[in-house]
Amino acid sequence: MSAATARKVGSALFILVVWQLLVQTGKLNELFLPAPLSVLRAMWQMTLSGVLPWAVLVSLNRLMQGFVYGSIIGIVLGLIAGSIRWVEDIVDPWVAAVYPIPKSALFPLFLLWFGLGDPSKIVTIAVGVLFLVLVNTVTGVKSINPLLLKAAVDLGASRLQVFMKVILPGALPNIFTGLRLGAGMALILVFITEIEATKAGLGFLLWESFQLMETRNVFVGVVTFGLLGVAFTWGLQWIERVCCPWAQRS
Amino acid sequence: MILELRGIAKHWAIARTGERVVALESLSLDVAAGEFLIFLGPSGCGKSTLLQIIAGLERPSGGEMRAAARGADGRGRKLTSMVFQEYALFPWRTVLENVVFGPEVRKVPRAERDAAARRLIEMVHLGGFEHRYPHELSGGMRQRVALARALANDPEILLFDEPLAALDAQTRRVLQDELVRIWAETGKTFIYVTHSLQEAVLLGTRIVVMTARPGRIKQIVPVSLPRPRSLTHRGEAEMLERLDGLLADEIKQAMATDLGAPAAP
Repeated sequence: MSAATARKVGSALFILVVWQLLVQTGKLNELFLPAPLSVLRAMWQMTLSGVLPWAVLVSLNRLMQGFVYGSIIGIVLGLIAGSIRWVEDIVDPWVAAVYPIPKSALFPLFLLWFGLGDPSKIVTIAVGVLFLVLVNTVTGVKSINPLLLKAAVDLGASRLQVFMKVILPGALPNIFTGLRLGAGMALILVFITEIEATKAGLGFLLWESFQLMETRNVFVGVVTFGLLGVAFTWGLQWIERVCCPWAQRS
Repeated sequence: MILELRGIAKHWAIARTGERVVALESLSLDVAAGEFLIFLGPSGCGKSTLLQIIAGLERPSGGEMRAAARGADGRGRKLTSMVFQEYALFPWRTVLENVVFGPEVRKVPRAERDAAARRLIEMVHLGGFEHRYPHELSGGMRQRVALARALANDPEILLFDEPLAALDAQTRRVLQDELVRIWAETGKTFIYVTHSLQEAVLLGTRIVVMTARPGRIKQIVPVSLPRPRSLTHRGEAEMLERLDGLLADEIKQAMATDLGAPAAP
């Protein structure tokens, strides 16, 4: 183990052990800060009982649907708006108007329009993801070296071929930046939309535990959200490595 | 004649100031098949613009261009292919994928285009590097890829826009010899833009000396020196001196224009 790794593992272990000891010796109140081991135990029990896996599945379903719909619309619209001027002119004012709005503020409206079920949550997540992906895709298209477009035309590429073989791959690294940001946004929004108007999901589990003062279960929810975030990031990194082998980040 | 230029002109207005820029003023020239034609001139003389016009990437403001009939193979082969100074390789494509780009967009069957591309990659001495990405290659190697990519489209005419200007002196010298070899091997017409006198003397069969902006032909100098050429030979040295004399005034004037001084009458 390298010195750097040792320091990192040491730092994490040290805090966890001190935390555990402080709770066990009664210096910290379990109601506010449950010990790491009891959180782990609760997590294990909730997994065995099926409560946690179900909550994760429900949230993951909303998260992935929202993320995928938002990404697809964002990428397609971004590629077109980035490469065709008049489309950009049409899209631009809407992006400028909606982009700065916290997408959680739109949730009440979507509840009103799409009801209490999953669709309102999925739409909220999709909209949050869409704008991040859209803006980054447009940036990606604009950042393509114009010389490459010229070279493609010189080699005989049609407009469609330029789009598929130059603009799309050229924008891909920025598209992935948008997807990474969108993934973070999707996690935030799935939590917020599950606080109200639902009886299932990880956000609901966390929030209900808080209202019942079951702090241990709140921590279970927090840790699980963290794990979901890490898994999401890793998954995206893997896809990016497969899709953009030329743009290896060191 | 493979290409006839008649009164080619190009001018545009700078949007901010409304100032009218004349890049090319009525340029006429016949290009013979198989020659290594050099356009030599100070920067800003419109030689790159002329190349873009020949490539069909820009429309001339006036004049016309006649090209010899194409060998019709029903696949829409292009008359020209361009090699750019900054290589313009697709960073997401490997060497092989870059080279096949032209045939690929013309829908040449995969086996056929790959085989042809591999032959060309051998020709530019990049065998073994087929699956590297451009960022994994040196500048000289990238320009070899760009050359193979232009050749892969099997054009009648190859256009070069100062292709070696971004390379170090040694690599440039090596690639100059390579270009002459490939020009001789393929028998294609090369039209080559440069501001380097040395390059013009080493490479060309005919040197078109351009005036400072607006670009016009100042003089056409045929070069019949035997190959391999070297700047240390007497013939080459004399030619260099002659070109230097021809170009000195133009460079002075180009500098003066750059500095905003009124052009000499």
